[in-house]
Amino acid sequence: MKLIINGNEKELDCENIINLLNSLNLNKDTVAVELNKEIVHRQDFDNTKLNDNDKLEIVKVVGGG
Amino acid sequence: MNETLKIGKFEFNSRLFIGTGKYENFEIMKKAHEASGAEVVTVAIRRVDLNDKSDKSLLSYIDTDKITILPNTAACFTAEEAIRTARLAVAAGLPNWVKLEVIGDKKTLMPDNEETLKATRVLVKEGFTVLAYTNDDVVYAKKLEDAGASAVMPLGAPIGSGQGILNPNNIKIILEQAKVPIIVDAGVGTASDSTIAMELGADGVLLNTGVALAKDPVRMAKAMKLAVESGRDAYLSGRIPKKLYASASSPVDGTIK
Repeated sequence: MKLIINGNEKELDCENIINLLNSLNLNKDTVAVELNKEIVHRQDFDNTKLNDNDKLEIVKVVGGG
Repeated sequence: MNETLKIGKFEFNSRLFIGTGKYENFEIMKKAHEASGAEVVTVAIRRVDLNDKSDKSLLSYIDTDKITILPNTAACFTAEEAIRTARLAVAAGLPNWVKLEVIGDKKTLMPDNEETLKATRVLVKEGFTVLAYTNDDVVYAKKLEDAGASAVMPLGAPIGSGQGILNPNNIKIILEQAKVPIIVDAGVGTASDSTIAMELGADGVLLNTGVALAKDPVRMAKAMKLAVESGRDAYLSGRIPKKLYASASSPVDGTIK
């Protein structure tokens, strides 16, 4: 399915957010995820299903003032 | 006896907040943080770079036993972006407080006060402790406080500009009318800038560039720690008034002739 992740289109077959993070080599404990402009809480990563054309923002903490 | 700085439910001994951006490397950043004595450091929330395989994590250089991380909404230009960023910060595991920045202009990084006010109302309703970055607009400072901001943070000068406290008069007016802590945030270039802010009566100072880009960030961090402490002591000591004419320090009587 097509997913738009951080502004980029990707073709991936991931059932849920945990699958997605694993396939992107991301640690679920260091990122936050927004799916179609709604926050997905960490405890819901494994039961939140992904669909074609879903838009995701995956963010982390970086240096800033 | 030093009273603590209370912002919403948060309480600190140090009145210096420091950033995590622009350091040459995380090791220097950590040493600078230690030298500063800061109990609060700010961070930003950004998209993960999916092509970056490096594992170096900023968070592993911050001792969260001693330091509370304050997420910012830097580079947000609308209330909506800032609100989403604040929510993402909490989702990432950070405490639910936020340095709310909604920028109105890319060159000056001056705040868009109208959008900041909008975002403050929404975030306060969601239970966030909001520290609102603003400018020295006396009217907006009050509006932000009335909207529920737990702290109002007027800039001293544009972010990263190092010009110091450009409008002490307005900051003094903001301090007089405020019932919440006022933290001077942005524009601090050297130690005396921090001291000036504290001598005006500011409840704290937030800085990043002044330390991170100093030639010796660790030494400057120490200088800022002392500057904030001495400014606070000077403010609480009740300074002498400024007089036009002299007032002798040694007795005028009993001099030899």
